[in-house]
Amino acid sequence: MPLPRRQFLTQASAGLAGTLLAGLVGSVPGCAPARSAVQGRLRGAGHALGHLLRTPDKIPAPTRTETIDTVIIGGGISGLAARRELHRLAPERSTILLELEADTGGNAATGHNARTAYPWGAHYLPIPDARDTELLAFLQQAGVLTGYGPTGLPIYDETMLCHDPAERLLLHGHWQAGLVPEAGVPAADRAEISRFLADMERLRRAMGPDGQDLFRLPLTLSSSDEVTRQLDTETMAAWLDRHGYQSEYLRWYLDYSYRDDFGVSALQISAWAGLHYFAARKGQAHNAPADAVLTWPQGNHFLAEALQAQGGPGRVQTQALVFGLHEANDSQLAVQVYDARTRQSTTLLARHVILATPWHVSKHLLPAPAAGPPLTPLHAPWLVANLTVAGYPGGPGQPLSWDNVRYGSPALGYIDAEHQALRGYEADEPRSLTFYWALPTDPADPAAARRHALASTYADWLALVLTELELMHPGLAAQVTAADLWVWGHGMVAPTPGYVWGPARALATQPRLGGRVHLAHTDLSGVSVFEEAFHQGQRAARAVLGASSADFQSAT
Amino acid sequence: MGEESILTRRRARAVASATADGAPRPALLLGSVAVIATCGLLYELIAGTLASYLLGDSVTQFSTVIGVYLFSMGVGSWLSRYLGGSLLRWFIRLEILVGLVGGASAPLLFGLFAHVGSFRVLLYGLVGLLGTLVGLEIPLLLRILQGRLAFKELVARVFTFDYVGSLLAAVIFPLVLVPRLGLVRTALLFGALNVVVAGVSLLSFDETQPYRRRYLVAITLALLALGAGVVGAERIQRYAEGEVFQDTVIYAQSTPYQRLVLTGNHRGELRLFLNGNLQFSSSDEYRYHEALVHPALQDRPHASRILVLGGGDGLAVREILKYPQVQHIRLIDLDPAMTKLFRSNQLLRELNHNSLHSPKLEIHNADAYAWLRQDTARYDVVFVDFPDPGNYSIGKLYTTAFYQTLRQRLRPGGLVVVQSTSPYVARRAYWCVAHTLAASGFATVPYHAYVPSFGEWGYVLAQAQPGTWRADGGGLPAGLRYLTPSVISQLRSFPPDMAEVPTEVNQLNNQALVRYFEEEWGPYGQ
Repeated sequence: MPLPRRQFLTQASAGLAGTLLAGLVGSVPGCAPARSAVQGRLRGAGHALGHLLRTPDKIPAPTRTETIDTVIIGGGISGLAARRELHRLAPERSTILLELEADTGGNAATGHNARTAYPWGAHYLPIPDARDTELLAFLQQAGVLTGYGPTGLPIYDETMLCHDPAERLLLHGHWQAGLVPEAGVPAADRAEISRFLADMERLRRAMGPDGQDLFRLPLTLSSSDEVTRQLDTETMAAWLDRHGYQSEYLRWYLDYSYRDDFGVSALQISAWAGLHYFAARKGQAHNAPADAVLTWPQGNHFLAEALQAQGGPGRVQTQALVFGLHEANDSQLAVQVYDARTRQSTTLLARHVILATPWHVSKHLLPAPAAGPPLTPLHAPWLVANLTVAGYPGGPGQPLSWDNVRYGSPALGYIDAEHQALRGYEADEPRSLTFYWALPTDPADPAAARRHALASTYADWLALVLTELELMHPGLAAQVTAADLWVWGHGMVAPTPGYVWGPARALATQPRLGGRVHLAHTDLSGVSVFEEAFHQGQRAARAVLGASSADFQSAT
Repeated sequence: MGEESILTRRRARAVASATADGAPRPALLLGSVAVIATCGLLYELIAGTLASYLLGDSVTQFSTVIGVYLFSMGVGSWLSRYLGGSLLRWFIRLEILVGLVGGASAPLLFGLFAHVGSFRVLLYGLVGLLGTLVGLEIPLLLRILQGRLAFKELVARVFTFDYVGSLLAAVIFPLVLVPRLGLVRTALLFGALNVVVAGVSLLSFDETQPYRRRYLVAITLALLALGAGVVGAERIQRYAEGEVFQDTVIYAQSTPYQRLVLTGNHRGELRLFLNGNLQFSSSDEYRYHEALVHPALQDRPHASRILVLGGGDGLAVREILKYPQVQHIRLIDLDPAMTKLFRSNQLLRELNHNSLHSPKLEIHNADAYAWLRQDTARYDVVFVDFPDPGNYSIGKLYTTAFYQTLRQRLRPGGLVVVQSTSPYVARRAYWCVAHTLAASGFATVPYHAYVPSFGEWGYVLAQAQPGTWRADGGGLPAGLRYLTPSVISQLRSFPPDMAEVPTEVNQLNNQALVRYFEEEWGPYGQ
């Protein structure tokens, strides 16, 4: 039985995995999946190293000094994109990229088991807007884009386009094709869903009085039309109410979509962001429909690797904790970095710094900001679970697909990690499934949800995941042989009302420390998607080079 | 005289008393004659039927099996003279043995068919052993009954029951046993009857007292073994008797990748099914494989390196080996069980002319897509003989992505031939394959052949460079049963009911072909 929406929201506001678990387990009579035989462990983004910052006296003082042109702090997509852009436009400049984790990629993390690589976070890229020539150039260099068709539209490597069948939804006991609820949905609801999608199609094509698209990626290219930007002040839920969108099926689908991208539901995001989600998707390809996505077994780590490979010979140092950032003299900044491998600290003297870390890290490294409203991004904690399942997750209707979602579920479903595997047989072999779950967060006290998330044990999370799996595929939970779990304390930023077009974000994006520190991160966009991170990195790199985007475009 | 007469009278009394208290005993033994005669003929019929399923040519098989069986019975009769001592004890031993060997005959022959190098040695060895044992039965019974009945009575009654039993067997075998029980369970059931005869004899005669307990244990164990056989046979029978296959299942194996089932019938026709889909019938597979291989190779006098994807039965390789210019063939088949079966089984090796043992052949058991992506060799001709695109996994092997990978493996002027389902039943699926090859940069030549077991079957010949292939048929090898130069040119003409229709191009991200295939073949699958 799907949880009624209201019940889910009540539980969501409690923000407790335990409550959710009780509710779920209670809804499955006699269900207590055996989990004693499951192998696995709980992982998380480098808490231990990061938390050294709380006890600075335990960090050894720098013993060496190095001079370098530009230091990039943070090896997520923004940092890697900045490094690539610096190398592309000024290969003579020396750079170093410092990453806290053992691997670069940020949220685009990956892992693997004996059978396959799998994602630990971001795992797909919708085919981009064909006007985003810089992103297309990167994709072409990465081998994702193989050329252009006779009408000038990009041709993507077919093996990287999400293979068919892409999506299925368990609705009324049957797996239907696609995630928009259809099978057995009352005519009135279907009509409302059609009306909503037609509205979004209209907005997708709509232009503001300034001649710009109302909604576009990167979002800074969206029209500055005041009426549209006013939508940033109300919640998406309020906008839906105002426009008479009450269908429970539609509202579930929208909440599912927003939780998938932002970690929170229509109640917590702004209407501008909720509409942007649908109306900014303008992908076009010669060999794929507009709604196609690109995906890889290792998720977006594939793109992170490509960005890094295109970033030149500059050093990339992982397990590096930056614990100090200040002006050393008139022309140099001092970056103090602790290397967890050698257990030594170094001072890097740099002309420029690109700070490509999440805001909760950046704000600690930067001096107190100038007067103005503080930026307070909301991050829901996320649970990602990679399961090895001995049985085939079938069920009535469409067979196992890339993305598999249960209608009414508070979780986000799972993807088949081997979906893109190029082989021609259906073997009776174990499956690798990647579960996604944006954990309920109370905007008034996001830290509480995070504390609970980080305090919950492996057994707590496993029970939650197995129960959800059992609801999707009765009997399958008992066939789970391995489960590795990853809890992201800070998942993706949620574009809460006022976040995208409010004054705090604009202020936070300003260069700091005498204009030598440039910031790049999707926390500074409000929409945590690859395209935003890519352009954040490019923007910061160009700011370092002092070259305007217009100059650059005329140069190419 | 007096003494003698007393003795004579005593003997007469002894005989009289034996007949009086033991009145049921000759009757019992004569009843067992009927039972063992029925069993004996049934084993013969089972062996003959099995041989004609497994080896084909029922006249020859029945004739040789009956001949060997009857001859062995003669051997057994002759050997009976060497049996002395307690004849009843010998009889009981013999019945247990006949029950075990006869009961196990059908399961053994089915079970070992795919695993023994020479099936005929096993078959005739078993038939000979069984015939010998059965041949011992009647002489032994005659000697047991010798003193108890007048000779003319003895012979008359024993042979009456013998022939009545045979008639019973001959009637119930085809009418009741084969359709209801199947060969395996029939053999096991009648094996158990032989053992029951041993048990009844053991319990009915006082003279068996000294060894009764030991023999009861042996009889119980024999019955248990045969009973276990019946339970185990259920699994084979499920396939053998199911409505799925019209013929008898002679081999079935589930591998991690598929279910292999081989069936046989009285016409000696072997059929291979993979996951329930017919792969070939030995009666007309030559049409399918000649049409797959020869149109391409007849125009490639310098083709030395050949790649075969799928085709683990070795039948396409058999045709390829008819070209002396071919130096090296690489066969990629997913399932090691498939290539092992067709390398080891005698009948299947006869069918593929031992092609899987050719020194020119190199076999790799791997997924064709994975193999191709890491392969660096180049080939003159590639034969693509995959299963039909019935699911999304196999569908990936028919996409532009796959064909583009394949094209990079061709030498200049290289050719690819793809088996492409039926253009009659699945017209859009067939043309979708042709259009997908065209969209992948090939110049295509669609053609089709009539294969009675399959119906109209489609192929697409794809040239890496257009205009490099001609159909004059001049290079065809001798001894083909289907293709001639004029037949090749006919294959390229499509009547209106199979003519080209517009379709989508099959890509990984749309799997258009699987959808066409399901829509068009779906109604036939019900």
